[in-house]
Amino acid sequence: MQILAQLIVSGISVGMVYGVIAFGYQLTFSTSKTLNFGQGEALMLGALVGLTTINFLIGHAIATLPAFLLMLPVVLAFGLLQGAVVEFFGVRQAVKAKSDAGWIMATIALGVVFKNMAENIWGHDALRFPSPLPEAALSFGGVRVQPMEIAIVVGALLLMVAVEVFNRKSIYGKAVVATANDRDAAGLMGIDTRLVIMFSYALSSMTAAFAGVLVAPVTLTGATMGAVLGLKAFAVAIIGGLSSGVGVVVGGLILGVVENLTGFYISTGYKDVPGLLLLLLVLSLKPAGLFGAAAIKKV
Amino acid sequence: MLKVENLVAGYGKVQVLHGVDIEVGDGQLVTLIGSNGAGKTTTLRALSGMIAPTSGSIKLGGVEISGLPSHKITRLGVAHSPEGRRVFPALPVGDNLLLGAFPRLTGARPKGDTAADLEKMYELFPRLRERRAQLAGTLSGGEQQMLAMARALMLNPELLMLDEPSMGLSPRLVEEVFATIARLKEGKTTMLLVEQFAAAALEVADFGYVLENGVISTSGPAAKLRDDPAVKAAYLGAAR
Repeated sequence: MQILAQLIVSGISVGMVYGVIAFGYQLTFSTSKTLNFGQGEALMLGALVGLTTINFLIGHAIATLPAFLLMLPVVLAFGLLQGAVVEFFGVRQAVKAKSDAGWIMATIALGVVFKNMAENIWGHDALRFPSPLPEAALSFGGVRVQPMEIAIVVGALLLMVAVEVFNRKSIYGKAVVATANDRDAAGLMGIDTRLVIMFSYALSSMTAAFAGVLVAPVTLTGATMGAVLGLKAFAVAIIGGLSSGVGVVVGGLILGVVENLTGFYISTGYKDVPGLLLLLLVLSLKPAGLFGAAAIKKV
Repeated sequence: MLKVENLVAGYGKVQVLHGVDIEVGDGQLVTLIGSNGAGKTTTLRALSGMIAPTSGSIKLGGVEISGLPSHKITRLGVAHSPEGRRVFPALPVGDNLLLGAFPRLTGARPKGDTAADLEKMYELFPRLRERRAQLAGTLSGGEQQMLAMARALMLNPELLMLDEPSMGLSPRLVEEVFATIARLKEGKTTMLLVEQFAAAALEVADFGYVLENGVISTSGPAAKLRDDPAVKAAYLGAAR
């Protein structure tokens, strides 16, 4: 029983990371019906930029926790910029060329470019990321939890809530929702929908970069860290539905927990299987995702 | 206010408008009538920048706006209540209205008193006040039409373009919509009204244009068009 609880608890923090990356897919899909297949690379770049920044700060005799907090705005700003670059140089050009799948190739290609760039700058080795919180696990009735795992869950939820509040309360956020609802009509409101889409890409990469520095202290940092996370988060986005914020959180948690259970009870070799099985199952039974609204258009 | 000359527009290779001329004076209510597929909606879409015109000139208050993207044209003061209402279904009624004032709230147009204007809209359309917290997607067709009109008015526009405000509404609601249009006219709102209900449109309008296969076939003061035998026969159902 205790083992089961332990597996579930550690699955939750991994699942939250999947969820927050999937949330990023959702941000751009809702406004533009396109998404960044280089999302994993956005995460990786965020983590590596964060690593360089935090090491620089620690080198200047700043303690790890304040250094981590000071690093966050740098990483978030970098994420915004990186997402805007992906939209401007990749997605926009492909959509302009009226190519249906062009944006897929463009974002994958940019992802490869970013990965190679990272390998050249930071090398091929996995690097250790200084943990801002004590690494000793806390014990809750025998279930061990790392403080950083709690930080991941709290941080991911805070970020998603912040975006949601922005969308509901500010006029600019409402403009984003309006663009997602009906792009042509949003244009008639005086909303520059191209700018909104660029912004949603920026925001999407920002969430990925943020997820990157959240997981980095518990995993390792390196040019290849993003690929698998990006892919699994894509599965989560499909499982949860590309239109539901609750869906990606639940989808992420399901995947995180199921992976952990499979790894323990069956074999770590099969750890990645249930997620993909779940993906196939959802696609064949409920293509809009577990929480997605069916794409029926009222005429 | 608005002067359209030799407007040519269409979708891809299909040309719909073959040189349309329209003029709307300050404070005037001008209607554009015509049968299905004549190009009425396409005209409005070209005017508001939803589609880019192939050629021709569109001047708003003397400024050439032809070819500008729709958000820029809106910021210059053209409010377009599009065909099919196009309210934002996942947003509450109140937010839909606020978005109508987006250029005013974000500094692209003189702000004025948006709160007072919102209040005015709720007075003009009391039903919207009752439903202001409800998602626009859950409104009835008539309520959505009112919302679309009110949303366009929230721009405090120089020119209000209404595309088929009566479409799909019950006769009682159609009457209500036209009563609202008449009230807006009293308030000196400059309007371009596209309607299939030609009789009702010519009743409220100052001036009318008849669009036929992408060209203006007849135009004149609305009262005169009402008595024009050809217009009567084709659009007012009098020949029967």
